[in-house]
Amino acid sequence: MKIGRRSFLSFVIGGAAGTAITPLPWKLMDDSSIWSQNWPWTPVPPDGEYSQSNSVCTLCPGGCGITVRKVDDRVVKIEGMKGHPVNDGGLCLMGLSGLQLLYGPTRVKTPLKRVGKRGEGKWEKISWDEAISEVAKKLADIRSNGGSHTVGSIVDSENGTVPNLFKRFLTTYGSPNFMTMPSIQDSYAMTLQVMQGVSAQVGFDAENADFILSFGSGIIDGWGSPVRMFKANSAWKANGKKVVQIEPRLSNTAAKSDKWIPINPGTEAALALGLANVIITNSLDSKKISQSSGFDSFKKLVQNEYGTEKVSKITGINSATIVSLAKNFARASKPLAICGKGQGSIPGSLNEFMAVHALNALVGNINKEGGVWAVTDTKYINWPKPEMDSIAENGIQKERIDGAGSEYPHTKSLLNRLAEVINSGDGSLEALFVSGANPLYSMPDSKAIKNAFDNIPFIVSFSSYMDETASNADLILPNHVYLERYEDVPTPAGLSKPIVGLTRPVVKPQFNTKHVGDVVMLIAKALGGGIADAFPWESYEACLKETLGVKWDILVEKGFEFNGDKCILEGDFNFYPDAMKSLSDFSSVSIEGSAISYPLILIPYDTIRLANGYIGDPPFAIKAVEDTVLKGKNSCVEINPKTGKELGLTEGRYASLLTPRGKAKVRVHLYEGIMPGIVALPRGLGHTAYDKYLAGKGCNFNELIGSTEDPVSGLDEAWGIRARLTKV
Amino acid sequence: MKEEGKHKKAKKYGMVINLDECTGCGACMVACMAENNVPFKEDESNKLDSIAWMRVYKLTNGKPYPEAEICYLPRPCMHCEGEHGHAPCVSVCPATATDYNHETGIVSQIYTRCFGCRYCMVACPYHARYFNWWDPVWPEESTKYLSPNVSPRMRGVVEKCSFCFHRYQLAMDKAYLEGRTVLEEDEYQTSCAQACPAGAITFGDLNNPEHKVHQLAKPDNKHGGRPGNPNVFRLLERLGTNPKVYYMSSREWVRQAGDNYINNEDLAKNYRH
Amino acid sequence: MDSALIPEGVKRCSFGKFAIGIILVGGVLLWGVYAMLLIWLKGLNQTNMNDFYGFAIWIWADLGVIALGGGAFFTGFLRYVIGKDELKNIINCAVLIGFICYSSALLILAIDVGQPLRSWFIFWHANVHSMLTEVAFCLSCYFAVLIIEYIPLILENRQINKVPFLHNLAHNMHEVMVIFAATGAFLSFFHQGSLGGTPAVLYGRPFSFREGVFIWPWTFFLFTWSAAAYGPCFTLFVTRLIEKITKKKLVKQNVIDLLAKISGWTMGTYVIAKIIDTWYWATVTAPARGFNLIDFYSNNPFYGIWILIVEIVVCGIVPALILLTPKGRNNSTLLFTAVSLACIGVLLNRWVMVLQVMAIPVMTFETWVMYIPSWQEVATTVLPVAYGIILVMISFRYLPIFPQERELNP
Ligand SMILES: Nc1nc2c(c(=O)[nH]1)N[C@H]1C(S)=C(S)[C@@H](COP(=O)(O)OP(=O)(O)OC[C@H]3O[C@@H](n4cnc5c(=O)[nH]c(N)nc54)[C@H](O)[C@@H]3O)O[C@H]1N2
Ligand SMILES: Nc1nc2c(c(=O)[nH]1)N[C@H]1C(S)=C(S)[C@@H](COP(=O)(O)OP(=O)(O)OC[C@H]3O[C@@H](n4cnc5c(=O)[nH]c(N)nc54)[C@H](O)[C@@H]3O)O[C@H]1N2
Ligand code: SF4
Ligand code: SF4
Ligand code: SF4
Ligand code: SF4
Ligand code: SF4
Ligand SMILES: [Mo]
Repeated sequence: MKIGRRSFLSFVIGGAAGTAITPLPWKLMDDSSIWSQNWPWTPVPPDGEYSQSNSVCTLCPGGCGITVRKVDDRVVKIEGMKGHPVNDGGLCLMGLSGLQLLYGPTRVKTPLKRVGKRGEGKWEKISWDEAISEVAKKLADIRSNGGSHTVGSIVDSENGTVPNLFKRFLTTYGSPNFMTMPSIQDSYAMTLQVMQGVSAQVGFDAENADFILSFGSGIIDGWGSPVRMFKANSAWKANGKKVVQIEPRLSNTAAKSDKWIPINPGTEAALALGLANVIITNSLDSKKISQSSGFDSFKKLVQNEYGTEKVSKITGINSATIVSLAKNFARASKPLAICGKGQGSIPGSLNEFMAVHALNALVGNINKEGGVWAVTDTKYINWPKPEMDSIAENGIQKERIDGAGSEYPHTKSLLNRLAEVINSGDGSLEALFVSGANPLYSMPDSKAIKNAFDNIPFIVSFSSYMDETASNADLILPNHVYLERYEDVPTPAGLSKPIVGLTRPVVKPQFNTKHVGDVVMLIAKALGGGIADAFPWESYEACLKETLGVKWDILVEKGFEFNGDKCILEGDFNFYPDAMKSLSDFSSVSIEGSAISYPLILIPYDTIRLANGYIGDPPFAIKAVEDTVLKGKNSCVEINPKTGKELGLTEGRYASLLTPRGKAKVRVHLYEGIMPGIVALPRGLGHTAYDKYLAGKGCNFNELIGSTEDPVSGLDEAWGIRARLTKV
Repeated sequence: MKEEGKHKKAKKYGMVINLDECTGCGACMVACMAENNVPFKEDESNKLDSIAWMRVYKLTNGKPYPEAEICYLPRPCMHCEGEHGHAPCVSVCPATATDYNHETGIVSQIYTRCFGCRYCMVACPYHARYFNWWDPVWPEESTKYLSPNVSPRMRGVVEKCSFCFHRYQLAMDKAYLEGRTVLEEDEYQTSCAQACPAGAITFGDLNNPEHKVHQLAKPDNKHGGRPGNPNVFRLLERLGTNPKVYYMSSREWVRQAGDNYINNEDLAKNYRH
Repeated sequence: MDSALIPEGVKRCSFGKFAIGIILVGGVLLWGVYAMLLIWLKGLNQTNMNDFYGFAIWIWADLGVIALGGGAFFTGFLRYVIGKDELKNIINCAVLIGFICYSSALLILAIDVGQPLRSWFIFWHANVHSMLTEVAFCLSCYFAVLIIEYIPLILENRQINKVPFLHNLAHNMHEVMVIFAATGAFLSFFHQGSLGGTPAVLYGRPFSFREGVFIWPWTFFLFTWSAAAYGPCFTLFVTRLIEKITKKKLVKQNVIDLLAKISGWTMGTYVIAKIIDTWYWATVTAPARGFNLIDFYSNNPFYGIWILIVEIVVCGIVPALILLTPKGRNNSTLLFTAVSLACIGVLLNRWVMVLQVMAIPVMTFETWVMYIPSWQEVATTVLPVAYGIILVMISFRYLPIFPQERELNP
């Protein structure tokens, strides 16, 4: 066969054309692209009918209003509620990630009973009936053996219907041991008690202040009602109001302030009194307030003991700065001093709170526009006093296990003392309920807490999530999450105008969970007698409706309601309560550990991107954490480059962080925004429970620090601990 | 129709981010992830492969303690216009999988057309583009919150901030049903702007003098959209990318950090136009 | 054993030795194939690329082999279009290398993209503004040309050539080869240029951005010119390597000398152009965007100014000077040094234009990003090398690659 040029070209072109006109290659190409666009493992979210509903976020005490967007019966987005008095449309990253908690892998989906060893993670699914009768039987046994006072509960706060149901349950059962998670609210309440003689919560009219002097409060790091503080901060900026931040580390709050003044940790009270001295000495104080009782003693105290030079030496802040700061503060028309460090989850030193409160009083801003208010939740919970049987009467007379109300007469709850009391054998608990709290993670000195819990034979968790405490419980009776339930939301932390909000189900419960309020009532009913009679409601929802009365309809309609005007408590201001006598000779807040073996001071820091309470960071939030905070499996510590140089530590290096209480492997982040000699560690990492998106990341600050009792209140005042950082 | 087209001025959606107000809280990042079905994986601490359409950078002034200052800078896609819509990323895409919409000024990304060559990522100086190195995997329960308005992406394609374009479409659909062709300022807002607790993000039509973004940035369209407000700047202005995201700061070092300057340049001259 | 397949009148090593060689290199090839499959199945997470390093080592290899394969088009151009007839004695080798380089380049691209099954979108939804579109079109057309240029070589195998149809086919293909060579040269000019344009149009990346004329940045011409200059060096390098390994002279010195001399001139002019380009870029283009030259070479553990000096002086001026002097060309060691340096130089240039581009921070608050390829990337990058060696081994053994071999080794 011979081919000519012609036939050759025909062959080539014909061959190519022939292949091309068969549908095969085209079809295959098309199919391949369609297939690669519709991989069966890539989800296709179904469409449907769109709707919206309003509710309240309860992931922190912020109380933000939310609007959820739904497609059929799925919630697809949480947004801030426009016009809500707390947040007006804005939302924090936790609130925005809420759906990952509702639909997340970390939920406890049905009642669980432990089958393996504690904390081993072996569970048996049980029915609600079984679960409730098991608890009731146990409690009946304890009660009949005369141990009713050895049953305790830990809840997130003392406000609202759910904590009050727990309290009522314990009361009628016969136990005084109703405990709450600590926070700066405790210290503030205590301060108002000793200096004004009122039993109230603190409120700040932050929006109207024009000079904000913050003693380490994380105004934009999650302090108070976080979104509300963000909004206030922006308003200050827009209106040229001044913010001065005092703390050893350039936190986000310090960075946003007009002036950052680093201070030696633990000496804030001295600064506040030193400022008071300058103000009084220069007659810049409010004339009216200086008529108050104790003023002369206070004046004597600050003039004798807190002269500028001395305070400068104590705090490490130069005298001129102290003097000018005092003057500018006093001369501002609406100055406001605030304290309670970071996000406010460690109560802190009462001296500091009193000193700062005195400073506010000096410039006459107590219960004034732009000032500090003593507010009361106009009580909406008015349940009839329960009938008590003799066991109950007897039981509640017993001393509380944590010594609150007896050893420390003004304090209501001292969870920080629980571990030591149990571990030293000074007291014991036979059963413990934990609801809306995760003490095994969020209380300082995790090891001691763990030991104490090991000594409690029966622990019941009501958690919606497999958190650290739930994983170490004997029984988990999972609550609905906030998007599945009704619940009152009492006044958010630090708000000057009390409001009550209502969180309500925007979807039906996704799993076999029950409202904790219903469960408490079911247990009470199972116990019978006076305990059962104390809970006449047919369900939690009925209880809530009845409790809120006329407010119910408004709340359902609007989501929130102001609590009326009669919320400010005046009281008589006392500048020099007994508690302040200890300040006649200043000593800084005690920091555990010897300076020789532990040359550095470890302080925690809070960031809005890390939750450190009961709720763990959901995947979106942890994704937003910077790589200078968390790298792979390790937390990063911040140290000044000078400190780094002394220790031979460079950026990103692994190091071992040692304190008298614990040890952690960390990575180093050199940061010019921190005082030399200080190591700062983020809080909110180092979870061992929840899901794979959170567990095993970084280290928990609480494993490295112990609790130090404030001599007056018994509350935990430790904000730091001595530490050593070495190369590994 | 023709008449109308003549009169209708092209919109130029953009943002002004007030860095004095931005607190670095990260809500914008999460608002974006939640709105746009952004996937997540077990370890997201390596920021070189962590998809975040909005990323908040932490800037420092480079001074030692205690003069150190920091500033947060949220970075969505800048929706660069370049010259006549030739955004750095758009002109390089060989498959026209990313496009400049002249009606809105929004740079789109067509996931199902992108074949993953990543040329656009190399072209973008803002690192605003992210590649799906992994198959996106949601925990079983979590697929329930996925929004039907934004399709989840598949492995092997690039994604980026869309200025929440689906929200524009939904708003336009609604307006159209009501017989309108023009949107009010608040009818189309991005998820990040809406969520920002500090109110630091302003979003709107830069071409519309009624809109706040226009008033804040005072863009000079004759000179590639250069800001007329002396406190306002754009990232890498000098590259000619003509971004539609403007930043505002009262601090000089922050404004300077927005661009590169060689050591003998008169800096003052550069950001005072 | 396979003697019937070996071209007449030439000596080849024993089949056993050959087979061992193939198996050894084949092992490496299989390693590469394994990595390739991993990447296709599990995705590009098998690499160490990331959102900052969108292109990685194999894209460098891709641009590198295309530059080195430039010997094919340039030699073809010289032989068929200019009429340098002596080059027919080395053109087969050039075509073989070109074929290997371009098929490798296409394979790499198929591994590189995130959605290989959609690669054809580049044709279907072509964006005329994109340099990559131009590259894709020219590259695939030129590869078709290379196939057409390579097929007649295969057909010349002793056994295949016995089939009359195939014999005639080969003959006819040779006759029309001028057309293909010219087309190939034309296509090559463009896609080498487009590859040069690829980094240079990135106006968001001041390190690679270059001004130019009309739609073509300067590197468009520089890449084409450098491929023309350095490609033949690689042809000479491979030829010399085969000669060394087989311990035979395969191409006459006058042929080598001619190609080396042309290469020297192209290289010399290229280096001058490159210096002018660098100068303009360093003093005008980059400063206008706020960058000093040294910014591109400091504050990082690897990319120092040395890289620029090595590329331009050590691997540019030096080999050009050697190739331009008759003494240099005639001294076997000097010549080999020159072509080796030249190959390193062009690879370095492509490295810089692909990888350093991405390492350099553009926003002031970002830092340099270093990248170390994963083993999968290394394996897939080595894969084409192994494949090339095997193809050279087989082609050399069974095809008359070097027409002068018989004459030189009687
Ligand atoms: N007339 C008058 N004078 C006063 C006062 C007053 O109330 N009225 N107050 C006095 C007092 S108390 C003070 S503290 C001083 C304040 O004095 P300065 O500290 O000098 O305050 P400004 O000049 O307002 O702003 C400080 C700097 O912070 C920058 N800045 C803006 N936003 C931010 C941010 O988010 N973070 C950071 N880190 N910096 C930002 C601004 O650009 C500015 O350069 O003024 C004193 N002088
Ligand atoms: N350049 C510069 N500007 C600044 C600041 C800065 O650090 N640098 N800081 C800013 C800040 S934070 C502030 S608060 C303001 C402060 O601004 P000003 O209030 O103006 O403070 P100073 O100028 O520091 O000090 C005020 C005066 O008080 C005097 N003084 C000191 N002790 C006493 C005393 O016991 N009695 C009386 N009667 N006078 C006394 C000092 O000598 C000084 O003259 O400045 C702001 N502006
Ligand atoms: S601040 Fe608290 S209440 Fe408000 S959205 Fe965030 S978590 Fe929810
Ligand atoms: S949400 Fe607002 S304040 Fe928070 S980081 Fe983003 S822009 Fe800044
Ligand atoms: S920021 Fe990057 S991705 Fe966005 S338009 Fe500009 S170049 Fe494109
Ligand atoms: S990765 Fe996708 S969008 Fe980007 S250039 Fe390639 S095809 Fe276009
Ligand atoms: S505009 Fe929309 S897509 Fe872009 S960063 Fe904001 S929320 Fe994300
Ligand atoms: Mo100040």
